Amino acid sequence: MTPLELRLQALGHELEVPPAPDLTAGVLQRLEGGRPFPWRRAAVLALALVAIAVATAFAVPQARTAILRFFHIGGATVIRVDTLPPAVERKDAGGLGTPLSRAEAERQLGFRLALPRFTGDGPRRVYVIADSVGTVVVRWHGRRVLLSEFPSFGATSLKKLAVNATIVDPVEVNGRAGLWLQGGPSHTLTYFDRQFGFRETTVVIRGNVLLWVRGLLTLRLEGKLTRRQAIALAQTIR
Amino acid sequence: MVDRPLEETELVERARRGDLRAWETIVRTHQGIAFRTAYVLTGSAADAEEAAQDGFVKAYRALGRFRRGASFRPWLLRIVANEAHNRRRSAARRERLSLRAAAEARPGDAVPSPEAALLARENQERLLAAVERLSDDHRDAIACRFFLDLTEDETAAALRVRRGTVKSRLSRALERLREELEGEL
Repeated sequence: MTPLELRLQALGHELEVPPAPDLTAGVLQRLEGGRPFPWRRAAVLALALVAIAVATAFAVPQARTAILRFFHIGGATVIRVDTLPPAVERKDAGGLGTPLSRAEAERQLGFRLALPRFTGDGPRRVYVIADSVGTVVVRWHGRRVLLSEFPSFGATSLKKLAVNATIVDPVEVNGRAGLWLQGGPSHTLTYFDRQFGFRETTVVIRGNVLLWVRGLLTLRLEGKLTRRQAIALAQTIR
Repeated sequence: MVDRPLEETELVERARRGDLRAWETIVRTHQGIAFRTAYVLTGSAADAEEAAQDGFVKAYRALGRFRRGASFRPWLLRIVANEAHNRRRSAARRERLSLRAAAEARPGDAVPSPEAALLARENQERLLAAVERLSDDHRDAIACRFFLDLTEDETAAALRVRRGTVKSRLSRALERLREELEGEL
């Protein structure tokens, strides 16, 4: 070291630096309480959400004059349009996000997943999109069903449905309002990414969808189930 | 059987699996350097405490993205320093660092004459003032490398730049200091 470097090093030891506080209690308290979702910020975003949903739908040229009706539930908005945007086929878990252990997924999401009662250890993988949407694959009546969960404020799924091709019916799940979507070939899923903002991906959905609100979360079942089967599965989720 | 302290790699691995006790040990081990790093970057004890605490919380949640086998401390300091920079940016200014009050000599210590002690302190105050006049980039490089004794790799991580950039910033900063303090060195 040069004389100047030695003097700088010595200077570092002569600086008035307050003693480091014990951070362990504060850090653990915040982590044990789970990651608080930024609700206030999310609430503001939620207000912007519908506007963005509309703008997104209008961005599809064929849909500009064809938004016919909105349905809003929890963090999800369903929009009827008369023409669907181009969509891609989703294969297996592709497009569901990063596969993680349940503990890691819950840490990234900042909330505990509500799951059906499993025999055994439960799902080995949880797929997480952008720290916002968690999805598990469950079997029900011998079928593969996707269960996705996201905060009711701050993330959304946006469906654009063909007129008359998809049934959209109000339903009840454990006394809470829900929506049942049956038929219709595709939808566009828009989600909120805490780091990068809104993103859109267009996928073909072959099954039916049940949307409902549970606590501060919006839950979504997707699969080839009947309405009665989907609601029965939803009622087991705790 | 004798309990042995867990290696950091093992602690990180346990924390990655959700073991908060392992993370507590990591916080306890690194909280000193995390706080000091945040302090020299913000100049504020309150901001430094918040930045360090937020850094540990965010680092825990980002453990899934920590590359196995990589060095942990630079990765952690990068997160803490980022929090400190954010606070400095929002405060739009940074408090200047200052020297400690002169420590009282203990009996038996070799004591410099009062004149020599005063001269040495004035020299260090001039050096600190010169460091504080550097651009933020140069000043931060000097602070991390020499005040905190970080390695070049850790300095690069904390400042979110390449190691080569750290070298060139340090070189230019030292040159500038030599010019300012010409005759003293």
